[in-house]
Amino acid sequence: MANTIRLYLTCIRNTLEAAMCLQNFPCQEVERHNKPEVELNTSPGLIMNPVLICRNEAEKCLIETSINSIRISMKVKQADELENILAKKFLRFLSMRAEAFQVLRRKPVQGYDISFLITNYHCEEMHKHKLIDFIVQFMEDIDKEISELKLSVNTRGRLVATEFLKQFI
Amino acid sequence: MAAVAVHQFAECITCHAWSPDQSMVAFCPNNSEVHIYKLFGEKWEKMHVLSKHDQIVCGIDWSLKSNKLVTVSHDRNSYVWSQEGTEWVPTLVILRLNRAALCVQWSPKENKFAVGSGAKSICICYYEQENNWWVSKLIRKRHESSVTNVAWHPDNILLATTSTDGKCRVFSTYIKGVDSKESESSSSDLKFGEQIAQLDLSVTWAFGVRWSPSGSILAYAGHNSMIHFIDDVKSNPSAQSIPLRDLPLRDLLFLSDRVVVGVGFDCNPMIFTADDTGLWSFTKFLDQRKAAPSSSRGSQLSEAFGKLYGTSKQVPSNDTVEPSKPRGGAHENCITCIVPLWKRGNTTLCRFSTSGLDGKVVIWELDIPK
Repeated sequence: MANTIRLYLTCIRNTLEAAMCLQNFPCQEVERHNKPEVELNTSPGLIMNPVLICRNEAEKCLIETSINSIRISMKVKQADELENILAKKFLRFLSMRAEAFQVLRRKPVQGYDISFLITNYHCEEMHKHKLIDFIVQFMEDIDKEISELKLSVNTRGRLVATEFLKQFI
Repeated sequence: MAAVAVHQFAECITCHAWSPDQSMVAFCPNNSEVHIYKLFGEKWEKMHVLSKHDQIVCGIDWSLKSNKLVTVSHDRNSYVWSQEGTEWVPTLVILRLNRAALCVQWSPKENKFAVGSGAKSICICYYEQENNWWVSKLIRKRHESSVTNVAWHPDNILLATTSTDGKCRVFSTYIKGVDSKESESSSSDLKFGEQIAQLDLSVTWAFGVRWSPSGSILAYAGHNSMIHFIDDVKSNPSAQSIPLRDLPLRDLLFLSDRVVVGVGFDCNPMIFTADDTGLWSFTKFLDQRKAAPSSSRGSQLSEAFGKLYGTSKQVPSNDTVEPSKPRGGAHENCITCIVPLWKRGNTTLCRFSTSGLDGKVVIWELDIPK
């Protein structure tokens, strides 16, 4: 089990190394504007083919890149209903604070749980290999976080139930 | 055979150009200004700040004989700056573009300059003595997408362009009155804007087109990590495409007819040489990288993420995923621009400078075997 995640993350890392070659590109459609072409989606010549990396049916990562921006969307493993709710709430918490993260997108792409939008400006301010480290680390940590949350929910539920039922003894 | 000097000028440099005597460097620190620094002994001092543009200045070229600076910006404007005394005086050039300008280059005789733009057109500007201003002529046809780079042929008439539609095109820019005395019989199509050749070698965006010093070889880089060399474009073109091992190139420079330097997302200049039969191949990386030990620390951003979440996370020793190795070398971020530095009296080029998104200008020196 531990091996497959390493392969999955290495594959994503290598794809990002190749895909994150971004440069400043002024908008061709509107004068004096500079927009992330992957979001604009009007010039097919400026957007590359999207790459979908699947670990299994439940976990996958979509990488769409263009000349000045890259969008990374991921679907997190959700084994049961509880994990479903926890993942949704947790990722919504993060997405709402997207300003603080800078590279996070406020709404995930349709069909995915969370999305990142990295533009050429981010690559100019920050090191590219550090950005990739962040994304890969994030993916690794998300699973751990959700399992921890699930454990703490179950523990708390057990504690509460014990305390409540004590009064009936 | 390595980096001779490294100067950190700003956070991020878009493009740069050297003065004719190589004592001053003009660059754009990723904003709408152009900074000119002069070398006094060992220290660089900021001499002038040229701030006429509204948006980022994406192309600067300094003419070597007439000491004029031309700048183009994403705000569709271009200025020609001439030094009068201690001040730089701008002259607006009406480019008649409706999209951003992307690149600029003075012609070899410095009577014209070419601007590539996001309006899928090229502007050729020349000086009209009677009206004392720069006139632009547009080549509007042919390009299907933004023109990313332009390169003048040594004969001052042919212009090669690369575009984000993946094609490299060669045009004739013969202008009556400006080129009339220099019309050579080699370029048969003398009409302005006539397309001489269109090269479809690259399937992705093309950048960094250059002619060799003799004008017989054309080279350009494709974003799919390939570099293309074309021999004898006008009459009997023959092409070679070399795939690169790593990331794509952004700009090229011919040091001689047989040696090319490519710079790009690898942050390390690459040398390509041609052997006696004209076959090009990758020779080596210019920068000697130290083999860095793979550290167990994750990125600073991931620590911040951990802190934001609230738990005091020790960044794990990363035995599941290898972190990316920190790079050694002169440049830390993508190299975007490479400029030749001619030594007085020398006919072969062995010095050049590169600038990149890390804000550094690095001067390199090479010995070229004859």
